[in-house]
Amino acid sequence: MWTALLIIHGLLAVALLGAITHQTLSVCLPARKPAASFQQRFRAVPGGGYVDAIILLYILTFLVGAFIYPEYRVSIRVVVEQMEAWAENGAFEIKEHFAAVGMAMLPAYRFFWRQPSAENQRTRNALTALLAVIVWWNFLTGHIINNIRGFGA
Amino acid sequence: MSTSRRFEVFAIVFATVAPLVYVIAVENNYALITYHPITYSFGFGAQQPGEGPAMYWFGWMATAALAGGGAGLVAGLLPAALTRFLRPALAWLVPLGVLVAFVILLRDYFLR
Repeated sequence: MWTALLIIHGLLAVALLGAITHQTLSVCLPARKPAASFQQRFRAVPGGGYVDAIILLYILTFLVGAFIYPEYRVSIRVVVEQMEAWAENGAFEIKEHFAAVGMAMLPAYRFFWRQPSAENQRTRNALTALLAVIVWWNFLTGHIINNIRGFGA
Repeated sequence: MSTSRRFEVFAIVFATVAPLVYVIAVENNYALITYHPITYSFGFGAQQPGEGPAMYWFGWMATAALAGGGAGLVAGLLPAALTRFLRPALAWLVPLGVLVAFVILLRDYFLR
């Protein structure tokens, strides 16, 4: 069951990563219209259309992660400590704190995307970029921890 | 205040207070609840490990959510004159500062 939940957690994180990356690039590096190349089309998405999906994916990813976290604490962290993989252990500690801080930002993130005024633009962009940093850090850390003992271990 | 402005105040205060309280809760172990994963049981407050490890992460978040939610609700009820100095930038500057603080607090993991 834990493996299935971990895979679901990972799949939700992949979807979240894609959505937040699209949105962040659309506000921080907006493409000049018309978008001709793949990179320009990647940045040319209407970012506002991603807000509810990102919030839902963040919460679902968070909840599944929180549900499987005790299993990590009991079965995996001990192994990571025995391997003396301190940087990886520290990265995971940061991941749990980043995830909590990201949750606290969600109401403001939603508000400033739903009130698209020029004076709110900097706040909206900063919240989006900060959420993207959190999601990328947590995704990469989870990926490293997941693979720390190698395939088939 | 309009409903929209009340929600804006709540959102800014929540994004400011909850991360600040969270980092304080982590540093001082002000956990509202403790989870004991071996026995699948919750306990009130920061409890010592029993059988196996004790998990405080849920408790730190509960402490932060309670403080942030309470502060946000109270701020949302205040007259507009008292909340007009509330800057939207707080909603990302404070979380950013807390993220940096955690990296600094946990730097020893990367310096061993």
